[in-house]
Amino acid sequence: MRQTYGKSLPDMKLADLPGKLIVIEGTDGAGRTTQINLLKPWLEELGHAVLDTGMTRSPLAGEGIRRAKEGNNLGRVTQSLFYATDFVDRLENEIIPALRAGFVVLTDRYIYSLMARAAVRGVEWSWIRSIYSVALKPDAVFYLRVGIEQLIPRVIFTRGFDYWESGMDLFPASDMYEGFCSYQKALLAEFDVLCAQYGLETVDASVDAKTVFSVLKARILNVLEDLHKVEIPKAPSYAPVRPARVSPAEGPIAASGSNGKHFELLLQPLANFAAGSNGNGNGNGNGNHNQH
Amino acid sequence: MDISSNLRIGPFEVFFPAQPVTPTQQHKSDSRYPGQLFIVEGIDGSGKSTQLLLLHKWLESRGYGVVFSEWNSSPLVKDTTKLGKKKKMLTPATFSLIHATDFADRTEKSILPLLKAGAVVLCDRYVYTAFARDVARGMDRQWVRELYDFAVKPTIAFYFRVPLDTAIGRITAARDCLKFYEAGMDLGLSDDPHESFRMFQGRILDEYERMVPEFGLTVIDATLPVETQQSQVRQIARRHLEVAKELRVRP
Repeated sequence: MRQTYGKSLPDMKLADLPGKLIVIEGTDGAGRTTQINLLKPWLEELGHAVLDTGMTRSPLAGEGIRRAKEGNNLGRVTQSLFYATDFVDRLENEIIPALRAGFVVLTDRYIYSLMARAAVRGVEWSWIRSIYSVALKPDAVFYLRVGIEQLIPRVIFTRGFDYWESGMDLFPASDMYEGFCSYQKALLAEFDVLCAQYGLETVDASVDAKTVFSVLKARILNVLEDLHKVEIPKAPSYAPVRPARVSPAEGPIAASGSNGKHFELLLQPLANFAAGSNGNGNGNGNGNHNQH
Repeated sequence: MDISSNLRIGPFEVFFPAQPVTPTQQHKSDSRYPGQLFIVEGIDGSGKSTQLLLLHKWLESRGYGVVFSEWNSSPLVKDTTKLGKKKKMLTPATFSLIHATDFADRTEKSILPLLKAGAVVLCDRYVYTAFARDVARGMDRQWVRELYDFAVKPTIAFYFRVPLDTAIGRITAARDCLKFYEAGMDLGLSDDPHESFRMFQGRILDEYERMVPEFGLTVIDATLPVETQQSQVRQIARRHLEVAKELRVRP
């Protein structure tokens, strides 16, 4: 039976959630999105149904959070709770139903990023921990760790500095670069605490994406061990197929029913192949198998 | 710079007293902030908003700097709440969280700074509304209380106690169309909105009664004439305002 971090929500049935919940965590620029974009098609190729979800993607609060962030006047407690609303909306309406249907749920960040962000902003651990006590314990959490030195060029040469990623609400007096360094360093420190407390598996993400991907693949295969495997049906054997013997009592029924006809259609080319001819072989169109 | 240790200053204030509030502590104002926070609570139809309006007028006439904060009114959050209600997207958990988000924004941007500035802040509904409704919807009692851990403890929390039938009589006389969440229709208690409303309000009333001793709510008998209730409210408020006299806007 699946567990939460302490409290459960009304109508949250924890039994019978056979899917797998896999979390990719990491600070901004750690390459989470790149990895998820690689992992999803790979998992699908293996035959697993995949749901990918991530922060601020809830139909309820996603848009509201985006709008609130534009104004740059979102307080730290309000921010934490807005994100919690977004998280719980996705937990109840996306993650749990997908797990119930046996999906592999790949989530771009989970409660840990939210806890780290809140903690950096001075919100008390015990409070934020209590809110997220309703979260499901994932099957695996991979924390993509990148040091600040590697993080900076990645951010500069891709999308540039962002107000919130630079923690400008915390460091209004500094420039984006200084803000980014201080904020991301503080986040990295919080993540180290989280790794110890919540058992996050650290993956060195300072190396190239391909290497990270192969590490993740190996670890994810372990997690998926008890899931059903997709087995490709064996290629049909072309040995002559003998029609099942129909007893005289069943004969007329089988002969007149549609089953007999389908069987005949299937049988004919196979029999022809076996006989090495393209003639009418043993099929006689009337489904009278006994004649042969 | 290690900001994580510098900035860990915790929620604004510990909302929950270590010991249950005793009647003698009840009327001690919170000395942390110079302002005063008066809030009204009660089920729909208890007459709490009317009483708050009358208190507001009286305080203004006496020259206090008074600010009124309404439940569910944060400009950052209310559109999301509206969307959730309109499309019936809210579960008990997200209903609880979005209201807490709204309340947090009002606390951070208005209630707390105003109290620091010495204003008299009036709130129509406060955390107790959330405690009552969310628990009535099946949320964990302790979880919801911890969710609002950041709230400022009110100077006085007036609870307008009224029997269910009286309140429902007042409500249904005033309007005949009940909204989906207002009637607790999301709980599937009954297909009839009025029946559902009655059952839902009954649960809420039970939660309020439980909170009276837990949080030391100041009970006002809401079946008394409006004027009698208001005299009681003003009398209680005055005791706290005398302390804050020097903070009056006009002499």
